[in-house]
Amino acid sequence: MRITIVRRALLASVGTMAMLGGAAQAQDCPIKIGALAPLSAPGTVVGGEAMRDAMMIAEADINAAGGVLGCDIEVIIGDSEGLPERGAAVMERLIAQDGVVAVGGGYHSSVGVAAKDVADARGVPVVFAETWNDTITGDKQKYIFRIAPLSSWASGTIYQFALTLPGIEKVAILTENTDYGIPASEETKRGLGEGGVDSVIFSVDIGTQDYAGIVERIKAEDPDMIITLVTGEAAYNFTQQAADAGIGPMDLPFVTGQDALESGAYWTNVPDGQYAFVQRIGVPESQFTEKGKAFAAAYKEKTGKSDVESYAMEAYDSIAILAQAIGEAGSTDGDAIVAALEAIEHDGTLGKIYFPYGTQKDPSEDGKGDEWWHQWPDPALTMIQYQEEGQSSTDAAIVYPDAYKTADPILVNQ
Amino acid sequence: MKRIPDIAGVLLLAFFAAFPLVYTGANYDYVMHVLITAFFYAILASSWSMLAGYAGQFSFGHMAFMGIGAYTTALFCHYFYITAEPTGLCTEFAFFGNWFVIVNPIGVTSTTLTQDCLRQAMAGWGDSVSVTPMPVLLGIVLGTIAGGVAGLLVGLLVLRLRAAYLALFTLGFSEIVKATISAEIDITRGQAGLELPALFENGVTVLGRTFDKTDKIPPYYAMLFLLVACLAILAWLARSRFGLFVRALREDPDAAAALGVNTTRYKVYVFTITTAMAAAAGAVQAHYVQIITPNMLFLLQMSLVVAMAVIGGIENFVAAALGAIFLQIMLEVLRTSFTIGGVEIDMTTWRLVFFGILLMVVLRFFRNGLIAPVIARFRRAGVAEETVAKRRAGEARS
Amino acid sequence: METPAIFWGVILWMIAWGVLGSILLRRRYFARDLDTTNANFVGAMAGAALGPVGIGALWAKTPELTGRIIVAFALLAVVLIAGAFAFADPKNNCVSNGSFVASQITNGLIIGIIYGFMALGLTLIFSILGVVSFAHGEFYMIGGMLVYYITAVWLPGINPLLAVMGACAIAFLIGALFERLMLTPMYTGKIDRPVEYGILATFGLAFTLQYFVQAIHGASPVKAERFIDFPRIRWPEDSDPLWIRASRGNLELFETISISNPRFVAAVTCILVLLALLYLLHRTWTGKALRAVSQDRDAAAIAGIDPHRMNMLAFALGGMIAALAGALLVQAFSWLPQVGAIPAMRSFVIVVLGGLGSLPGAFVGGILVGLVEAAGTGCIPDAQKAASYIPAYGMIVLTLTLLLRPTGLFGRRFASGAHGQ
Repeated sequence: MRITIVRRALLASVGTMAMLGGAAQAQDCPIKIGALAPLSAPGTVVGGEAMRDAMMIAEADINAAGGVLGCDIEVIIGDSEGLPERGAAVMERLIAQDGVVAVGGGYHSSVGVAAKDVADARGVPVVFAETWNDTITGDKQKYIFRIAPLSSWASGTIYQFALTLPGIEKVAILTENTDYGIPASEETKRGLGEGGVDSVIFSVDIGTQDYAGIVERIKAEDPDMIITLVTGEAAYNFTQQAADAGIGPMDLPFVTGQDALESGAYWTNVPDGQYAFVQRIGVPESQFTEKGKAFAAAYKEKTGKSDVESYAMEAYDSIAILAQAIGEAGSTDGDAIVAALEAIEHDGTLGKIYFPYGTQKDPSEDGKGDEWWHQWPDPALTMIQYQEEGQSSTDAAIVYPDAYKTADPILVNQ
Repeated sequence: MKRIPDIAGVLLLAFFAAFPLVYTGANYDYVMHVLITAFFYAILASSWSMLAGYAGQFSFGHMAFMGIGAYTTALFCHYFYITAEPTGLCTEFAFFGNWFVIVNPIGVTSTTLTQDCLRQAMAGWGDSVSVTPMPVLLGIVLGTIAGGVAGLLVGLLVLRLRAAYLALFTLGFSEIVKATISAEIDITRGQAGLELPALFENGVTVLGRTFDKTDKIPPYYAMLFLLVACLAILAWLARSRFGLFVRALREDPDAAAALGVNTTRYKVYVFTITTAMAAAAGAVQAHYVQIITPNMLFLLQMSLVVAMAVIGGIENFVAAALGAIFLQIMLEVLRTSFTIGGVEIDMTTWRLVFFGILLMVVLRFFRNGLIAPVIARFRRAGVAEETVAKRRAGEARS
Repeated sequence: METPAIFWGVILWMIAWGVLGSILLRRRYFARDLDTTNANFVGAMAGAALGPVGIGALWAKTPELTGRIIVAFALLAVVLIAGAFAFADPKNNCVSNGSFVASQITNGLIIGIIYGFMALGLTLIFSILGVVSFAHGEFYMIGGMLVYYITAVWLPGINPLLAVMGACAIAFLIGALFERLMLTPMYTGKIDRPVEYGILATFGLAFTLQYFVQAIHGASPVKAERFIDFPRIRWPEDSDPLWIRASRGNLELFETISISNPRFVAAVTCILVLLALLYLLHRTWTGKALRAVSQDRDAAAIAGIDPHRMNMLAFALGGMIAALAGALLVQAFSWLPQVGAIPAMRSFVIVVLGGLGSLPGAFVGGILVGLVEAAGTGCIPDAQKAASYIPAYGMIVLTLTLLLRPTGLFGRRFASGAHGQ
């Protein structure tokens, strides 16, 4: 269609010049950065709200430090509702209606997969914060970056951890039947199988409340360990109901869902959740970078939460890294931002963020798979354990891997 | 006066037909997207109002038929291909000198490394062998037929049920369809969603202008055309003897039966036609957004359609369609948050609260919706003047 | 786990004869000008249970259908399916593991009692107003939310019993207010189709309530603390296995069946409130008036009962019952604004199964649905899919009921007043 073509040509050639025609000046202030987050059902709203708050802090921090290119930035949050088709539409809206120059955030993988094509087709760079599906970077699209770990890395941490525990012969895996849960559960099963550990997968619909029947089935399997690959309140429900039935975290090694990282909500919803293991991205708060500590303090103050979730930190970094890239590119042109991102060294809350592979260097040159494309290689994946009741997730003991370990896991069934 | 609604209708249609050609705002693609989605809901709302308002059958399963249409074409395009050479890996049949290939379902994987049999074969071939996907149009037609057949079967089952039971039965049907799609991940890819080819995968050229597959103009006109076609069919139905029977059915099924109207047969007809429309809309929309997930069948989506039809005017399918277009646009516009007295109102959630309140207020105080009475008023105004004129003429004569 | 062909063979055989039986016997009874309400159901069950023999016997005799025959055939059909299943998959937990079966049945019963109780509210509303309340799940949701807010936010440390009663009172008021504001035009005959109006109006209420709570509360899941802790019981002291063993959060029977505290408390409370409700309906003037209106509106009006007041009372009471179910379960489940959808669906299934408007039907239906869901989750061999289909099990029951016996198990054929039937 003519209008778009004209617009894209303008964007590409003039760069910092008038973006959308009309009365725009050399540099439209404020510079708008879009963000995806699920803020209504059926999306995981808790995660979305945490990301929204984090990105709002990022906006305030950057503007307090003088903004970018002499402008303030404005973060515009699009509600993906956790639906892929909505995600694509919201991306469309952010780019076409709101005129964002880059996009951060992103929670649900399926939303990310659908939305990335829209952004890539329009030449708007995206840094995904919490979409784990390997295909996001595996499609090797020019404008798509990611700072979240790959889903295969995340599953790897869980099963490798399980294999270090003594006396584990059979594992029960509870997964949600989504594009996050299904591949993760299958990879975990495969990994455990290679280590000689038997496992059985139970999958549930997202939003399941009553796990009585499933808990009995799991109990009848007599597992030595339970791994939960479920997001949202469903993981709380399952963990507490398993605990009620005598196969909870206090009875056997129990990996609960990611949402347990918001420890305030976790302890309200799972009062019997002591000794649960949780996967966490990023190092413990004691090892935070200066920026991480400052963000954690601001975040806790803003939200009233007792600790900071890893996806909030990722969301913060996704905005901050885009702001830095725009500054280094000296323009809001998509190609210039991509070039800046490929060369970037960003001191984020999670650590030093960089993207070693991309248009300059294909992952295959180092014998890596396609999914390494535009992917931050060093997200710290750890397993933590709530060793004391009411503990906050940032104080909890890190029990795996050895590089970050602060304490030995307490094994309740020994 | 009497013709005002018709003139307004023609003008509105002309407006929508010309809109993409004259509008040049910077948010062009977004506005087009909102309109296409609005047309999609308009088809659902108008066909539902035919079913519920005209025929009096309160089906809560309309979205399920939409989903059946969408998933039929999605599965069709996802699993069937025609290749020039046998793959040797897939299930395949000779097909007029080519090979008809059924791709094996691989479910949801997180890595790009797992490939289905056809992709594996293509990797071996390089570019030497031509692989033809199924035509999208055929998929949409199949989707429509599948929706209609499902509607026929459900219609046959529910024909004995009345009001409350019918609502619950169709709700149950919708839930079963959704649960099945979510659970059969190997085939439907569950919540991950099934990707579809674009409506016009290879682009189209009309009057010397070439549109590529991401352009909004072709899907805009496709959806608009579908809407107008559906409205035309509904209008024809409503005016024919058929429409008379259908209305008789609603007013008093027993009396209609006594008068010799085969009530069951007409109930089933209405069910089949309207569900086929929903399925067609679903199929086209699925190809437009290029991904379909079972969440489209959420009760929330159904409640949106119901609310749109009610607010527009449930007994007038044109009003229902207009109501849907209007509300869809409003729901998008109202996403922006605003601040009153230092309190920030987050419209992403509050807009739905207002929507619910609006629905209740309309139900309570504007029983015929907000748009239908306007149309009716002009029509009746004409009638009244005519009657008055006639009466005067009569008086003058006497 | 392969399910052998013989299982599917038996199932297909039963379905084929069931369909045939239901069609044939309906015709037979129709032709003989007999009551056909049960013919479909009996035909299907006889066909499924005994194949041509069953249908033939019924066809030849065409007897007066009594409850006993119906139940006998239905049980036989269920036993047959269970038998085929046991034969096909002998290693399944449902076949080989007695304590597993006992646990699943207990779970099914307990959750069935709670949801049956909730469905009671729905059926009460229907029997008086003739409306299926689509806002039932939202009453359940606000019940739980209110208990959480009262015990944890507004008045920390309050006795949970008071919090539950407070939540019920608020739900009652919302119900009464909604009925006065929205449903009154239904009774005056101003509206062509009151049933549909009622459905849409409650639908609007559901929509508004759910998003209102979401806008106010946000989306973080909450949960109330356990209302009471069990005392530590070991009884009898010296037997093995122990018959009853209770700890703070758990109750164990015979060392095989464990029931969690919140569920136990909820189920017991539901039974107590049910008894109170039965007392209200059968022993007090208001209750008798309610029942009178449900049986015959006009006659009740002549007898000096104000049907409009009864309408309000029924709607408010029905909503309150749902809110009570929610208030009791908020200590068992994590609570969100969307939490009402699943129990609402389940209530619909239960009331249709039990018969719309039938109070005992709702309770029996609740238990049946609880058991069916437990069987579905527990016995389907494919662990990956068993739980994914949880929402569908109830719906399959609903579909079958409507096809075979649209009035449900205890449904009255002609419910009175402004009813949809």
